[in-house]
Amino acid sequence: MSSKLVWMLAGCLWSATAASLSDAGAQALLKQSDLRRNGWPSYVGRVKITNYESGKAGEEHLYQVSQKGADKTHVEFLSPREKGTFLLMLGDDMWVFLPDTRRPVRITPLERLTGDASNGDVARTNYAYDYDAAYQRREKCGDTECHVLELTARRKSSTYHKISYWLRVADARPMKAEFYLTSGKHVKSATFDEYRPVAGITRLVRMTLYDQIRKQSHSVLEFSGFQPRELPDKLFHQGRLDRF
Amino acid sequence: MNVRLLILVPLLSGLSLADDPDGAPGKLTSETRYSLALTEEGSFAAGLRVPGAEAGNMLLLEPTLAYKYGDRWRFSTSLAGLVATKGETHEQVRIRETYVGFTAGDLDLTVGKRLLRWGAGYAFTVTGVLDPPRAATDPTDRLNLNEGREIAEADWVAGKHDFTVVWASAGLLDTHRPGARETTAFRYGVMVNGFDTAVIVAHERGGTTFAGANFTRVFGRAVEVHGELAWRERAAVLLGGKYTLRSGITAIAEFYTPPDTAYYRPTGMPASVGRQHYGFLRVGKARLRELPGWKEWDVTASLVSNFDDGSRIGVFDAGRRFGNRFHAYLHAQTPGGKRSRSQFGAIPYSALVSIGVTFQM
Repeated sequence: MSSKLVWMLAGCLWSATAASLSDAGAQALLKQSDLRRNGWPSYVGRVKITNYESGKAGEEHLYQVSQKGADKTHVEFLSPREKGTFLLMLGDDMWVFLPDTRRPVRITPLERLTGDASNGDVARTNYAYDYDAAYQRREKCGDTECHVLELTARRKSSTYHKISYWLRVADARPMKAEFYLTSGKHVKSATFDEYRPVAGITRLVRMTLYDQIRKQSHSVLEFSGFQPRELPDKLFHQGRLDRF
Repeated sequence: MNVRLLILVPLLSGLSLADDPDGAPGKLTSETRYSLALTEEGSFAAGLRVPGAEAGNMLLLEPTLAYKYGDRWRFSTSLAGLVATKGETHEQVRIRETYVGFTAGDLDLTVGKRLLRWGAGYAFTVTGVLDPPRAATDPTDRLNLNEGREIAEADWVAGKHDFTVVWASAGLLDTHRPGARETTAFRYGVMVNGFDTAVIVAHERGGTTFAGANFTRVFGRAVEVHGELAWRERAAVLLGGKYTLRSGITAIAEFYTPPDTAYYRPTGMPASVGRQHYGFLRVGKARLRELPGWKEWDVTASLVSNFDDGSRIGVFDAGRRFGNRFHAYLHAQTPGGKRSRSQFGAIPYSALVSIGVTFQM
């Protein structure tokens, strides 16, 4: 069955059941929306992050992301100041390989929450794996009819404690999100700005993260070169973290 | 050899030889990674108690190149060209790493000069049998001047299990390592219930046999614990942990006790001092985002203490990023303790301050 047909069927299904959804349905909806961000069971691609301060472009970061399944992510840092840095996430376990320490250093989930776009924003995008979804309501987000889900962290390694997540009714594509810490603090918001056909699926190619603490800061994440690729398990081994 | 020429040639060639950031990552043919760092650092020693220049200057160029052909062949090299002036000018080229790797299924073979770090500690290590020397006052080797060892390595990964056998020379081409011995080492690593664990056995030709183990484990969202235990004539122990606050401030603490043997004894320390006990504390934060105008700043402060002689040394680091390629930093350290009879008190200055700027591409 072609992937286009799958998307059409999925869209019809979610439109039909839009009025109200059980939590199980919400979880399935979340899983469906993850396909818009990840697409394939095993893939590689590049993420460019541009940080803006008071509307002015500042630092740029470039990453190569390799993901296998929902719980294996290998990130290579490619921007000039970060070259030689690698991040590995295996389920709840995370390591970072820094060019100066030259060894995989175990990091805590809280250490991932740095920068306007945290490591988790780049490497942890399978929300159905990390969060339990509860259906909240259906409402307009802009001109679009959206489902609103509340996501609650189910793993200690989840980047955020809670997420309010708006998904387009027509095809479950993410439209916007609000991210909350355990303290209840609203730390970031996101808009999912642009989708394009990529290797047979419609995939997110641009999103914006808004800092809710420092309101003048935001980051634009651009996704490019994403394509399915068979990745060997040994790429996701902490002992081989420095192999690009 | 003219080191200035060695610095200029890769700098100029580096301008035309960049990474391939827009290349398709899915390609199976070949990939290249290239980086270049140029650092200019000035340092000043206050309260110098030995003859010598109080001020120094250093120019450091560090090119790296890594090339991968298909999924089987790898080549990597990392060099450091150094021009240091402290009264006199010295020029030096260091080959930090240069090795070739071949992959056959789950087996990786590597031959050449390579940096290996098997220890799990941050400031100290007792199981890093092939690690470069680690300084608690500069555990991250902030200028990247450590050099690897000449090795032949076989590494086999089977699921969660990782088996590594390494033969390290005493110095075939690299003859600048007095005291280095030919070493054969075996490491077995495995993840068990969240414990990233390794068992290491090594033997030095004409020397002692070493056995040790280390682990790291994360508890909850904020705590990491690590430890190392080793036996080489006598036991050496390291215990440490890391705690991350929600604000992003991270604290690392370690306790380290090496035996009074030649292998573990710090340079210059007499043989009669007995087993030593050290403490290390580091508090730092990357990106002071909460302070307006300080988002580009990183700050850390560390304290290393020898509990037996009461000496200690404080280390302060601050850095600021400028755009995507420049980084300015300040590194300061100030020792304390009895000048004549303590490890850190014997350091012949009251404070050492280094200020530098790094350009990276």
